[in-house]
Amino acid sequence: MKSISKVTEKKFDRQDSEFSYIYWLWGITVPLLLTLIDWPFRQILTPSNILLVYLLGVFFVAIRFGLWPSILAALVSAAAFAFFFAPPIFSFAIADPENLVGLAVMLLVGAVTSNLAENVRTQTRVAEHRERRAAALYRLSKELAEARLETEIIEIGVRHIHAEFGGLNTFLFSDRNGLVCYPDEPPLDISLLGADLGVAQWVFDNGQMPSTLANATAMYVPLNGSTGTLGVLVLEQVNLPGITLPEQRQLLDTFVNQIVHTLERANLAEKAKDATLKMQAKTLRNSLLSSISHDLRTPLATIVGAASTLETDEERLTKDTRRKLVGAISEEAQRMSELTTKILEMARLEAGEVVLNRQWYAPEEIVGSALRRLDKKLKNRQVNVHMADNLALIHVDAVLLQQVMVNLLDNADKYSPAGLPIDISVGTTPFSLSITVADRGQGIPEGLQQKIFDKFFRIHTESAQSGVGLGLSICRAIVEAHGGEIQVTNRSGGGSMFQLHIPILECPPTIDPEEKD
Amino acid sequence: MKTTVPLLLLIEDDPQFRLLLRTTLESQDYRVLTAAAGRDGLIEARNQRPNLLILDLGLPDIDGQDLIRRLRTWSEVPIIVLSARDQESDITQALDNGADDYLTKPFSTAELMSRIKALLRRVAKLPGGAQEIFLVGELKIELTKRRVFVGEREVHLTPIEFRLLSVLVRNAGFVVTHRQLLEKVWGASYVEHSHYLRIYMGQLRHKIESDPARPRYLLTEAGVGYRLCEEEIQ
Repeated sequence: MKSISKVTEKKFDRQDSEFSYIYWLWGITVPLLLTLIDWPFRQILTPSNILLVYLLGVFFVAIRFGLWPSILAALVSAAAFAFFFAPPIFSFAIADPENLVGLAVMLLVGAVTSNLAENVRTQTRVAEHRERRAAALYRLSKELAEARLETEIIEIGVRHIHAEFGGLNTFLFSDRNGLVCYPDEPPLDISLLGADLGVAQWVFDNGQMPSTLANATAMYVPLNGSTGTLGVLVLEQVNLPGITLPEQRQLLDTFVNQIVHTLERANLAEKAKDATLKMQAKTLRNSLLSSISHDLRTPLATIVGAASTLETDEERLTKDTRRKLVGAISEEAQRMSELTTKILEMARLEAGEVVLNRQWYAPEEIVGSALRRLDKKLKNRQVNVHMADNLALIHVDAVLLQQVMVNLLDNADKYSPAGLPIDISVGTTPFSLSITVADRGQGIPEGLQQKIFDKFFRIHTESAQSGVGLGLSICRAIVEAHGGEIQVTNRSGGGSMFQLHIPILECPPTIDPEEKD
Repeated sequence: MKTTVPLLLLIEDDPQFRLLLRTTLESQDYRVLTAAAGRDGLIEARNQRPNLLILDLGLPDIDGQDLIRRLRTWSEVPIIVLSARDQESDITQALDNGADDYLTKPFSTAELMSRIKALLRRVAKLPGGAQEIFLVGELKIELTKRRVFVGEREVHLTPIEFRLLSVLVRNAGFVVTHRQLLEKVWGASYVEHSHYLRIYMGQLRHKIESDPARPRYLLTEAGVGYRLCEEEIQ
């Protein structure tokens, strides 16, 4: 990264006058230095040797500091040679015509090589810039390749454009009505605020940059994708050459194209995901429908049948038969009512409509009210409740949690032989409430212990036990809405044990001690 | 005992359900008036002065809650609210607005009958208020002497515990909402401090109930309030 940032610093230095001033100085210093070096050897060296040394100096300046300093160096070299080395010494006059020719050739060669060196320099600089742009583009595309969400992509875009072009910038997209607006997400500290939405709208509608925008402080670049304009990039113009140079414009366009393609890809992925979800929902709806139609039609058949028998053949039925039919109607209606309640409850939880009505409750009250609701069913069943006396209050939705308890107890009652006890235990730690409901039934087969919480899952689908396979899914939905978890394990000694944990997020409130009155 | 046969007003928009309730109630020797909409119901209530009102909360014309509030401006008639399931907030609101009891659909007609009887009995007892001595199962409460017994054993309650219990005794058999209890025991500024109620109810249960996790007397109506049972459940 370090080398890259160095390159970035150097990128616009040829416009920098401070540096060229020093370059000019080098153009004078180098020939003077060479003069000093050559001076002691003036008796040994021939004038053409000295000219070659000067030529070397000119060449050096040309490579390091460019064309004009090297021409200056050539002129200074010529002057120094004439003054110090070509007889008569200490005079600019040159007596020997051979030296005059040599000097002219040196100037000529100096000019030509300087030109060549300058070309090499330019090429190198262009190559460096190209490499730097390629590196910037590579970094952008590398990050974009890993981005999945639209917000991620935009954030990466804003960051890289800021790093490359130096200006605050922002991406604007249209709302549902096709009006360009600011995104809902909080801005980054390098996001541009205060873009002209009117201009952005025009750019968005026309898919091109405005041709003239007098004294504009920002650039408005359309994000043109394959299916139309996705949005507008607004880029503050702080570093004019950094943006207006053709290569930089090209780079900006490439950046924008990259970002647009990534956005389009993300949109497609999103659409594909939606489609999958819809498919899943459809499958679920189908299984819901088949489950409901089976479970509701069976009791309905009994009710309709029994009622119509009573309606038409009332005279001929014995009292006992009549009572049986009426009993069947009432029982099946009760069953239907329970199923309907569960289906509605699940639908309500699924729809995300359930807002927890959290209040402070005593755990024993939740267990107590659940047990009371099942009073009739559990009349002949031994239910052991293990609970400490002074459990702290918990902040939960008691109605929903009571529903969890009712469902668990109802299951324990349904799926364990009549004479065997059900054990409930309740405990709290400072961080969580845990409730366990354990029975002595057959337990849950290994491998199904997760599945039984799925909607419409029943171990024996056509069993005599009524149920749609929603009770435990409701439990899970409620417990998870409380941020907790529920699981089932098999008990040693037979039976299953349902255990739920609900995190305690707040300390129980305290109350003022009672005053004597 | 002004009228021997109580007059009931049933406000329910579903014709089948109205017919069912009407026949059932008439078979129990009540006189029954019916109304299919809230406005008609209010007019009937004003003209016929029923002894008890059975109100379905989901009416087509006016909001059931609104109807209760309006009715309560001029009438003390007992109200039983019928509501679709899983709407504890509706029930609580109806009770806070002045309804006396509630049933969630579907319910057995036997349940409705026992609620009607209990309400009519409570009205008959008025204006003397609750009896001096309240008895249920092993629990005995002497209101003016402020003494509470479980079997032979006297239970010592703190003043607040006793106040809480006495509010429930005065409404024995009926649900009292959290809000009503907080207001009557602690005062209007405490209606949001439901944890006071939970803590004192817990204390009370530990003193009165043999198994506080499976209370016999002080029953919880989840999400709504508490009910002191009048006849011990078997």
